[in-house]
Amino acid sequence: MTTATKPNAFFRHFDRHAHGKGLKGATTHYCPGCGHGLAHKFLAEALVELGVEERTVMVSPVGCAVFLFYYFDTGNTQAAHGRAPAVALGHKLANPNSIVVSYQGDGDLASIGLAEIVHAAQLGVPISVIFINNAIYGMTGGQMAPTTLMGQKSATTPYGRNPLHGKPMHVSEMIATLDGAMYVERCALYDQRQRKRAKAAITKALKLQIEGRGFGFVEILSECPTHWGMSAEESEAHVKNVLEKVYPLGVVKDEAREPWFHLEKPCHDPEKVLQVLETTRETPPSFLAGRFPTHLDAHDVALKFAGAGGDGAQTAALLVTKAAINEGFDATHIPSYGPESRGGTSYADVHVAKDEVLSPAAPEPHVLVAFNAPSLDKFGPTVKPGGAVIYDSSVISRVPTLREGVRVFPVPCGQLARELGTIMVKNTVSLGAVQAATGVLHDDSFLTALRISLANKRAMLPVNEEAYRRGVQAVQAQLAHAR
Amino acid sequence: MPPPPRRAAREGSGAVGGGPSRLTRHTAGERKSDRATERPKVLLQQHLCKGCGRCIESCPKHAITLGTEVDQASGLVPVMIDEEKCNDCGLCIAACPEPFGLMREEYELEHPEHLYGERERPRATPRDVPPHDVPLPRCEPMVLKGNYAAAVGALLAGCRHVFGYPITPSTEGAELCAKLLPKLDGVFLQACSEVATVNHMYGASGAGLPTLTFTSSPGFSLMLEGISYMIGAELPGVFINVMRPGPGLGNIGPEQADIKLAARGLGHGNTHAIVLAPSSPQEMLDLTMLAFELSLKYRNPVIVAADGYLGQITGRVTLPTRMSVPGLPDWAVWGDAEHRNNLINSIYIDWADLEEHNRHLSAKYRLMEETEQRATGYRHEDAEVLIVACNIPARMAKAAVAELRNEGLPVGLFQPLTIWPFPIKQLVPLLGHAKRLIVVEASDGQLEDELRLALHKADVTGLEIQHLRRMGGMLPSDREIVAHVHQLLEVSR
Repeated sequence: MTTATKPNAFFRHFDRHAHGKGLKGATTHYCPGCGHGLAHKFLAEALVELGVEERTVMVSPVGCAVFLFYYFDTGNTQAAHGRAPAVALGHKLANPNSIVVSYQGDGDLASIGLAEIVHAAQLGVPISVIFINNAIYGMTGGQMAPTTLMGQKSATTPYGRNPLHGKPMHVSEMIATLDGAMYVERCALYDQRQRKRAKAAITKALKLQIEGRGFGFVEILSECPTHWGMSAEESEAHVKNVLEKVYPLGVVKDEAREPWFHLEKPCHDPEKVLQVLETTRETPPSFLAGRFPTHLDAHDVALKFAGAGGDGAQTAALLVTKAAINEGFDATHIPSYGPESRGGTSYADVHVAKDEVLSPAAPEPHVLVAFNAPSLDKFGPTVKPGGAVIYDSSVISRVPTLREGVRVFPVPCGQLARELGTIMVKNTVSLGAVQAATGVLHDDSFLTALRISLANKRAMLPVNEEAYRRGVQAVQAQLAHAR
Repeated sequence: MPPPPRRAAREGSGAVGGGPSRLTRHTAGERKSDRATERPKVLLQQHLCKGCGRCIESCPKHAITLGTEVDQASGLVPVMIDEEKCNDCGLCIAACPEPFGLMREEYELEHPEHLYGERERPRATPRDVPPHDVPLPRCEPMVLKGNYAAAVGALLAGCRHVFGYPITPSTEGAELCAKLLPKLDGVFLQACSEVATVNHMYGASGAGLPTLTFTSSPGFSLMLEGISYMIGAELPGVFINVMRPGPGLGNIGPEQADIKLAARGLGHGNTHAIVLAPSSPQEMLDLTMLAFELSLKYRNPVIVAADGYLGQITGRVTLPTRMSVPGLPDWAVWGDAEHRNNLINSIYIDWADLEEHNRHLSAKYRLMEETEQRATGYRHEDAEVLIVACNIPARMAKAAVAELRNEGLPVGLFQPLTIWPFPIKQLVPLLGHAKRLIVVEASDGQLEDELRLALHKADVTGLEIQHLRRMGGMLPSDREIVAHVHQLLEVSR
């Protein structure tokens, strides 16, 4: 006699258990009386009753339930110790239509994997977590778990758990405090009534996920006759009379939430990708016809922009880089980065090369732009002989000794910017000054790069263009004066 | 007292699975004639009963008692059911922790092939849907920092699932993904740690999708456990490690600090992964795309070992002419009927099974070594002195070579693009003229160790190997390399 439908999501033959040989092809690896088998059974029945076994992914933990995949005729992924909720999230976010169950014990979930479960519960993406609490580490041989009771003897609390081992952790109560957890219930398996409730709780947690409502968490107080040193019957009584007193049964949290979880299918349309990347098909105009500023260097010109965080050194450096690339040169920009770029000193190295930038650092730049005195003191003396230094003369009053033939251009960048109504453009003033002092590119190279950069902030363009011109004028006045 | 009559689905004893089934059906004659309802009978599979007795309390008719006889097949003592008392209510089934210890009669079958129910028919093998390329319209070169370029490479490789945890100097990559992926209906999830990150990747990759993270050395250390699991479970995944100096917290500068981890230390077990070493924003994009391809090809993680400088450097990046659209591999645990039989797993409890699995992985590693060595160089074809450098130090070395060549010195650069496997195949042909190697690196000999091991395995001897090493965020400058080469050549003259 055959049957048409299976009442649960178990394999009918456990081919993964010792290659399905002998009795192992039909029995679990659990000790007699262990609660895991019952939790498996209720989960396996619920999956079929809800009609989702085909799209279910079971994530097995490390611990006694590590071999969940021997039994569950579903998709299966085995996770590292404690990481099952993180793995489950990966599955759920990859395929939102999959039903993902993270099944974990108390060592796995409440000790090594606490961060993962807490953040998964706070996130609230609909996955279902089955938490087996038997107050002990099973697979490793009966050591203390976070849930071990006070006074309980274990392999690592041979004299009983005492205050130096801390108190038992109430996981469901903690999970219930987290915003993403919609439903949290603690159940047991010791009699028919509790078993019915456990199965109903598992079913409810799965339904929450199926309907896209939220994260469901079912804690099951489970028997471990082997490590408790009890018979199955004594174990059941122990849960009822001892464990349950510490871990009260019942619904800890049950919130209503409308279905919300939905993800669109990811987009792979090339046009859309290019649009999202903000690429352009328009070749920006160039103004130098490939003529490299050989009056500065035959192959490679190095510039350094230095100041305090917020001076705009990085933005200015990036603009030079972009302008040079638009002219068909190779260019690189490397910032000083990290905490110092968020408030402390900030400097940027730029290279403009005829063919290829080799070393991107600029320990000896051809051109230095200094926005404050410490930057000028530090980098001024490194400027190559015959190079140029532009400094913000509105804040710097003293110039250190420079190398031979270095030309110096005091430009009141800050002051000129303020005259234009915004200190923000002082770096643009400096760009005009760099171009006027060195002729590294072309005025229009800079102005075009400015226009492209400010495409989304068009209102800022006129003041930047004017700032650039002021920088040019400041240097031109000095050059005229020098003549 | 004689034992009560036992209702058993199986008579006699003996092993099952191999020999003929001893399972017999109850006949109608065994049924109680006074049964009120026609319920399928409850059967005890004696040999599958572990005798825990959890069913005893569940029986309202008190029909079940602990057994007294050892079952010769299981070596355990199954419970006994008094047939006279049993009314087939089935409450004992709900109390039995074993899937098939107590069951309804429906499952009972006589034929051994159908023991415990009809054997699952082999389901249709899932289709393997490989990724495919689509043309990417031409656009102007972008100006991108290295971290951004790698993120763009990931998008063009078809990756829409990025997980990450902020760590300087890699974070801009994750930030760009967080900005762009929602516009493509992709997912960026900021994990609670690097440990969680790699496990999110494990899940998404287990579902069959391309996935990536950005990290830097301390974070990479934390991911190693997960990388070992991914290798064991044969999962692809791309790790952009923007290396920074250590040990410990070190600082956020550039260092080639994790060459040893990436090449030799990917967590516990016999692990290897291809390690790609870019040296420019363009290569950050190109090698990231390559990483996805290789990762899927070998079902193995791929590490893109960048450095702090490279993550931060901005330069010109030309987009490729094609982009990749992911498929769905046949091994994916996608969560549908087609992929239901699949398993992502790294535990093989049987020692012989695990050795076999390791041999399978080793064969993959050998194939990678055979086929995936990559290198480039600069004026290396006729060089008598070869500087060996990768990542940002290769740029400095290139500048130094240009200068040394101007001086007429026969110096070249050999630049591994794969640190593991080390490109010994590309190096050996150069050793006819190059008798001296100078390893320039931003670490305490981690690259040199890879070089020396590869030379040793290739039975290359008689080379003079020297080095220039900087650490802590300090990089070997081109001037320093030039001076170093001058000094070495001077000494040898």
